Amino acid sequence: MKKVQVCCIIDDDPIFIYGTKRIIKEVDFAENIIVYNNGQEAVDGLKEIINEGGFLPEVIFLDLNMPIMNGWEFLEEYKNCQYDISKKTTIYIISSSVDPRDLERVKHYNEVDMYILKPITPDDLGKILSSTTV
Amino acid sequence: MKTLATDFLLKESPNAIAIVDTKLNFINYSNQWQSDFTPNKTDIIGKHLFDVISEMPILFNNAIKVGLTDKENINAGQKFILPSGKVQWLKWKISPIRNDINILEGLVIYLEDITADKRDLELLQTAETVAKIGGWEVDLQKNSLYWTKTTKDIHEVPEDFIPDLAQGINFYKEGIHREKITELVSAAIEEGKPWDTELIIITAKGNEIWVRAKGEVEAVNDKPIRIIGTFQDIDERKKIELAHEEISERLKLATQTSQIGIWEYDLIENELIWDNAMYNIFGVDENQFAGVFEAWESTIHPDDKEKALKATNDAIIGVKDFDEEFRIKLQNGEVKYIKGLSKTIRDLKGKPIKMTGANWDITMLRSTELKLERSTESFTETFDNAAIGMALISPELKWLKVNKSLLTSLGYSEKELLGMRTTDITHPDDLESSTKTVFNGVKDTYQLQKRYFHKNGHIVYAIIGVTPVKDLDGNPSHAIAQFLDITDRIEGEKRLETLVEVTKSQNDSLLNFAHIVSHNLRSHSTNMTMLAKFLSQEEDEKELKNINRMITDAAESLSETIAHLNDVVQVKTGALKNLQSISVLNTIEQIKKSIGGLLEKQEAIIKIDIKNSHFVNAVPAYLESIFLNILTNALKYSSPDRTPLIEIKSQLKKETVLISFKDNGQGIDLKRHSDKIFGMYKTFHKHKDAKGIGLFITKNQIEAMGGSIKIESVVDQGTTIFIELNKI
Repeated sequence: MKKVQVCCIIDDDPIFIYGTKRIIKEVDFAENIIVYNNGQEAVDGLKEIINEGGFLPEVIFLDLNMPIMNGWEFLEEYKNCQYDISKKTTIYIISSSVDPRDLERVKHYNEVDMYILKPITPDDLGKILSSTTV
Repeated sequence: MKTLATDFLLKESPNAIAIVDTKLNFINYSNQWQSDFTPNKTDIIGKHLFDVISEMPILFNNAIKVGLTDKENINAGQKFILPSGKVQWLKWKISPIRNDINILEGLVIYLEDITADKRDLELLQTAETVAKIGGWEVDLQKNSLYWTKTTKDIHEVPEDFIPDLAQGINFYKEGIHREKITELVSAAIEEGKPWDTELIIITAKGNEIWVRAKGEVEAVNDKPIRIIGTFQDIDERKKIELAHEEISERLKLATQTSQIGIWEYDLIENELIWDNAMYNIFGVDENQFAGVFEAWESTIHPDDKEKALKATNDAIIGVKDFDEEFRIKLQNGEVKYIKGLSKTIRDLKGKPIKMTGANWDITMLRSTELKLERSTESFTETFDNAAIGMALISPELKWLKVNKSLLTSLGYSEKELLGMRTTDITHPDDLESSTKTVFNGVKDTYQLQKRYFHKNGHIVYAIIGVTPVKDLDGNPSHAIAQFLDITDRIEGEKRLETLVEVTKSQNDSLLNFAHIVSHNLRSHSTNMTMLAKFLSQEEDEKELKNINRMITDAAESLSETIAHLNDVVQVKTGALKNLQSISVLNTIEQIKKSIGGLLEKQEAIIKIDIKNSHFVNAVPAYLESIFLNILTNALKYSSPDRTPLIEIKSQLKKETVLISFKDNGQGIDLKRHSDKIFGMYKTFHKHKDAKGIGLFITKNQIEAMGGSIKIESVVDQGTTIFIELNKI
């Protein structure tokens, strides 16, 4: 299986980040991992990568509840920024929320591929990997 | 020439005859002459004619002279007015007497005083004219008709008119009049029956007049030969009579239909006469009526007897005519109200002799009046004591009459309100649907909800019902308005609405809260699950330690979250039981002291401008928590470029105290975050202690105490938080 070149985690919970990183390594999901602690950091970071002509992440794991800029706000920003669309970036929402209003809201974003309930498991990563390589 | 026989004949002649010689000395005379023309009945032989009859008309003297010239003179009867003024009718015949050799020897004078007969005739004729009574005569043998002058006058025919029988009958008006006279005349001729009738004739000039015709038949050997009669113009009398009859009839009808009883009382004879209506009204049997004053007196109700008798007495002695209302008690016990009027008739000396009057039954009228009185009374009573407001309103929309309830609802005194129009205190938005519509006839009645202004300015909600009252001409004279004050109800509804709103928002926030709880609890628990899993797989000592530390963190976070949730639930469920009056200044000072270390560390400055008279109604622990939260937030999110400066002020509002906290910190981008600034677990700054729970709890605490919180902020300039809490 071909692995993801760059994977991005946007989350403010250090434990989640630790766990996710660990699983990514376990299943050899990605070559590189970028971590942002909130939406604003992610927007700034991704812009920097574009400016420097670096590799944009193919997969983004996005948390919803974050300080400063939450997941929803990030999605709005992301929609409005013209990233290199020749390279497909898939966003996965990873959240603890079981609020049906959140699940409904996700459907309005084409950029979002899937809503994954925390915690993320090796199986989840396996499925993502198989779907992105197809 | 004198013979005994002739002498005797002359003497005994029924006529007054005298024989005089040429010297006019009496030779002989009849006894009648002596009786008629001789004064004292003395013997007058040898006496001169003019010595015996002194006063004679000149014509007679002339006639004598003519006789002496040997010519006969006859006067068939003539009226003379003598120089003494005496009226005398005389008739005479004076014939010369000749002897054998045809020489004038004297005169035979036949003289008759016909004054008495002629006067009767003359009187009759005058009477005929004056009484308009004419005479007529039918000669059945000659079949001719004779009319006297008056009869002709009545028929308006000329004096030379000669009527015949058929013509006479044809003057009667065609129809019943002509038929009647024909019938009467026939009956008279055939049966000898006299008649006396009143009929209409049409005169020759076309006038219609009433006549009285009387006729009598003269028969010889049972055979009628003549009908004589009178003919009288009774038009005037008849017309009066007919008119009188008509009026009487009308009066009779009127009194009958209106049941007005008429009575007459003879004061001298104590005789009381009632008409039928009187018997009906008084319920007395005509046959049992005594016909005396006492019979009337006995019918009067005992309570009214004195009054009625006094009025009767007053009427008799002339104080005033009887004009009274009194009650009578019928034999069957029924009581009637009677109105009585009377006139007293007096003789020439002013002595009362008769009373006549009218009585009628006014029981219905009186009972209607009583009912009206009672109805008016009960309306007034209802009006005054009604639990709802009531008013009478003029077509100009002025208050005409108002009751206590209305005054209570509107807060005005009666005097104040009666000087106003309804529109003066009606809410401007409700003027459209004004009472005018019932006055201009658009609506019969209407009922709707309106707003009025209480004297003290607050709005009075009322359901009003308006009914117009019309005068006799059908124009609205005023309206009766009922005024149901529903202010309490409306305000209750409003409170309920607010309550529903609050409940709804509380429900919403509870739902949010539930999701937040589940989210937070889940994130910690999943972290722990995940870490536990790693722990079981990990072999590296160093990594194990790391995982263990993280598990501890997660557990701590979980317990912290639970503590937060507990705080929130406390606020949500904590009733307002513990509200008390707290000094704003004291609380601020107390908090300032408790965070003294933090202030010192950041070299922060706090400026307090709060009057020590400002007290709020609050839960002490909440108020402390709120102030602490706001102050620590201000310090936590202070600008690294500036010395933190926090200004705290308070201001008295109508029912609240407004407290403001102004800092010069980082500020919050309200455009982005205004919707979630007070949300749970919303954080906006990169601060290690930012938990997103402080403002959420603060807001809940403020709202639980009936207050409100607002925020103004400019990024990198500062934030001002406004808290409004109720005064006592």
